[in-house]
Amino acid sequence: MAQQTSMMQLFEKLDDLKSVFIYGQKIIPVIHSLLDFMKDTVPLLENINKSIAESTTKIPKAKHHIHDVTNATELATTEILDIVDTISDDIKTIDNKINSVFEKEEIRALQFDEIIALLDDKPEAKSKLVSLKEELISHEVIRSIQEIISKIKNDAYNITISLQVQDITSQQLAAVNHLIESVQERLSSLIITLGETEIKEMRIENDVTPENVHFDPQASYNKETSRQEMADSLVRENLNASQDEIDKLFS
Amino acid sequence: MSIKFLVVDDSITMRRIVANSLKNLGYNDFVEASDGKDALDKLAADDNINFVITDWNMPVLSGLELIKAIRSDEKLKELPVLMVTTRGVKDDIMEALAAKVNNYIVKPFTPQILKEKIEQILS
Repeated sequence: MAQQTSMMQLFEKLDDLKSVFIYGQKIIPVIHSLLDFMKDTVPLLENINKSIAESTTKIPKAKHHIHDVTNATELATTEILDIVDTISDDIKTIDNKINSVFEKEEIRALQFDEIIALLDDKPEAKSKLVSLKEELISHEVIRSIQEIISKIKNDAYNITISLQVQDITSQQLAAVNHLIESVQERLSSLIITLGETEIKEMRIENDVTPENVHFDPQASYNKETSRQEMADSLVRENLNASQDEIDKLFS
Repeated sequence: MSIKFLVVDDSITMRRIVANSLKNLGYNDFVEASDGKDALDKLAADDNINFVITDWNMPVLSGLELIKAIRSDEKLKELPVLMVTTRGVKDDIMEALAAKVNNYIVKPFTPQILKEKIEQILS
C-alpha cells in the first residue's frame, strides 16, 4: 500500500516536471527574443550613457562661462560708475564756476548802474555804458545754462540708478547656475555603466562657482511699483500690529 | 544729529549705487560692508554708525540674520535698519518684518523711495 502511494507521488512529480518542460519549451522563444532585444538595447544604452557623460562634462564649462559673464558685467558696471562719478564731479566744477561767473556779472551790473547814474549830464557816455551793460551775460542765459547742468546731473544720477540691473541680472545668472548644477547632478546619477570618476574629476577641476552663492532666484528688473506698494502696505500694517500677532504668523 | 550710514551689500555695484544715492540726498557720512558678518564687525568697531541699509541675499551672514543679530544685541537693538532687496514676495517681507526691520525697499528702487523710507525711519 505504501509502495503504491510512493509511486503515485512519483508520477505526480514527473507530471509536474513534464509541465515545467512544456512551459520551458514555450518560454524559450520569449527568452531568445528578450536576449535579442538586450543585444540591440545595450549599445543604445551605452550611447545614451556616453551622451549623458559628455553633456555632464560640458556643464561645468557652461557654469564657468556664466560666472565669467557675471564678473565681466560687474567690471563693466564699475567702469561706468567711475565714468559717471567723473562726469558728476566735472559737472559740479562747471556748476560752481558758472555760479561764480553769475555772481561776478551781478556785481558788474550793479557797478554799471552806479556809473550810469553818475552820467546824467553826459548822455553820449551814458548811452555807451548802457550798451556795454547789455553785453553782460544775462540772467536768462546763466539760468538756462544752470538748468542744462542740473539736467545733466540728474541724467548722470539716473544712469547710476539704472545700473541696479547688474545686481539683479547677476542674481538671475546665479539662479541659472544653480539650476545647471542641479541638472548636472541628475545627469551624473543617470550614468549607469560608465565609470563616474572621470566625470567627478572634471567637476572638481572646472567648478568655479563658489559653494555658498547667495541669490534671489526670483530676482527681476521690474520697474512696476506693485511690489513696493505691497511692501509699504505690509510695513504700515506691521506698524499697527503687535509683535505677538506677527510672531503668530510664523509659529 | 548727524547720521552715519552702514551700507551692507555683497554687490560692489549696489554698494556704490546706494552710497551715491545717499550723497545725492545730502548724507555724506557712510561706511560699507560686504556681508552681514562684515557689518557686525564694522558696528562693533564704530559707535558712530546709527543707520543700517542692508541687502538680504549675502554670503556668510544674510541680511535677515544680520537684523536678528542686531535686534538680539543689547547695545545695537534700537539701531534703525532699512532692507533693500530683490525679494518682493509677501512671505519674505513678512519674515523681515518679524525680524523687526524698520522699513523695506524692493529693488530696483528709485531715489524718491529711498529718500522717503530714510525720512520715515528718521522721523
